[in-house]
Amino acid sequence: MSSVASDPVTSSSISGMMKPGLSSDELGRLLEGRFGLKRDPRTLQDLCLLCPSAQLREVVSFLRDDVSLRFATVLDIIGVDYLAFPDHRGPRFAVVYLFKSVEFRQRVALKVEIEEDLASVPSITDLYLSANWAEREVWDQYGITFIGHPNPSKRLLNHHEFIGHPLRKDYPCQKRQKLSINDPMIDQLEERLKERGYTVIDPGNTNESKPITPRQGGAS
Amino acid sequence: MTYTNVPSPVSPSIDLGDSFVTTRVDAVVNWARRNSLWPFPFGTACCAIEFMGAVSSMFDISRFGAELVRFSPRQADLLIVAGTVTYKQAPVLRRIYDQMLEPRWVISMGACATSGGFYDCYCTVPGIDEIIPVDMYIAGCPPRPEAILEAVVQLQKRIDRESIKEQKTVGA
Repeated sequence: MSSVASDPVTSSSISGMMKPGLSSDELGRLLEGRFGLKRDPRTLQDLCLLCPSAQLREVVSFLRDDVSLRFATVLDIIGVDYLAFPDHRGPRFAVVYLFKSVEFRQRVALKVEIEEDLASVPSITDLYLSANWAEREVWDQYGITFIGHPNPSKRLLNHHEFIGHPLRKDYPCQKRQKLSINDPMIDQLEERLKERGYTVIDPGNTNESKPITPRQGGAS
Repeated sequence: MTYTNVPSPVSPSIDLGDSFVTTRVDAVVNWARRNSLWPFPFGTACCAIEFMGAVSSMFDISRFGAELVRFSPRQADLLIVAGTVTYKQAPVLRRIYDQMLEPRWVISMGACATSGGFYDCYCTVPGIDEIIPVDMYIAGCPPRPEAILEAVVQLQKRIDRESIKEQKTVGA
């Protein structure tokens, strides 16, 4: 049966021992009773709970560590911009966390509403490793900062000379931004090598590329 | 049409002009080049899969000479850009193109490489001719393998019309 080892994230008895978990209603009531989280009225199908930013880490730790819940995976972290949403009253941004429990066949979503001028939320990177890039993507596209993130201002999808946050509704969608020198990512490569035990001897010249110029029949 | 003072590749003081020698040399050189176009597939997206289909035995690009697909730009002469190119990728594409040796040709395959495709947004290059000179454009999303083969054949016909009198020197 499910042995409760000391590390709650990695020990899960996935091998054919999926147990029926709480139903969505029961889970909603449990979290409401324990933390005071209300259901989001806009989310029709899945269970989505509105969570204040201050309580986020507490709730997420509970979801991950509790023996009867075991939400061991965060599937995605999604940013939402309600600027153009019809009849919207309330904060401009929201961040939605999708959790899944493979052991109990259960999903839950947490929605954290964020004011525009503050635009920050605690990071859950130390709780879930996959939150690292997911939060970086939300920062990249929406500009929402994650406090405590190990690599907070590094672009994930857009290039490193990009200015602005393109998935915000006030960013003109067709505005393109050219890149002059691409990022060879030598620093990240060296980091990975060191993690694996290699010694990096010669860092080398990381930015040998010359900027690209508009095509005037010119090889650089 | 006569050219005056066309230096031969052998020695600049020998004037070739438009003669029996140049047309025969042209014919041989062009025949060799068109029948041995070695592609470098710069495949980024779905068009690369379609290119794989064109290279496979059913459609068989190698009957046109483009058999040896080389994955280094220094060994290839035909750059086939198959797929979407973003601004993040653009300097990479430019660098790859710069590493190719003359003579080189570029085929822009599919809607995304030709014009940005249906991605009219903040990240996609609206056509790779913003970055590199293109010889052939293939329309389609993705183009049929037959369309790729037609592009190669058209490119071969264009190569037939080239001449050593017009030496392509880029950026000299």
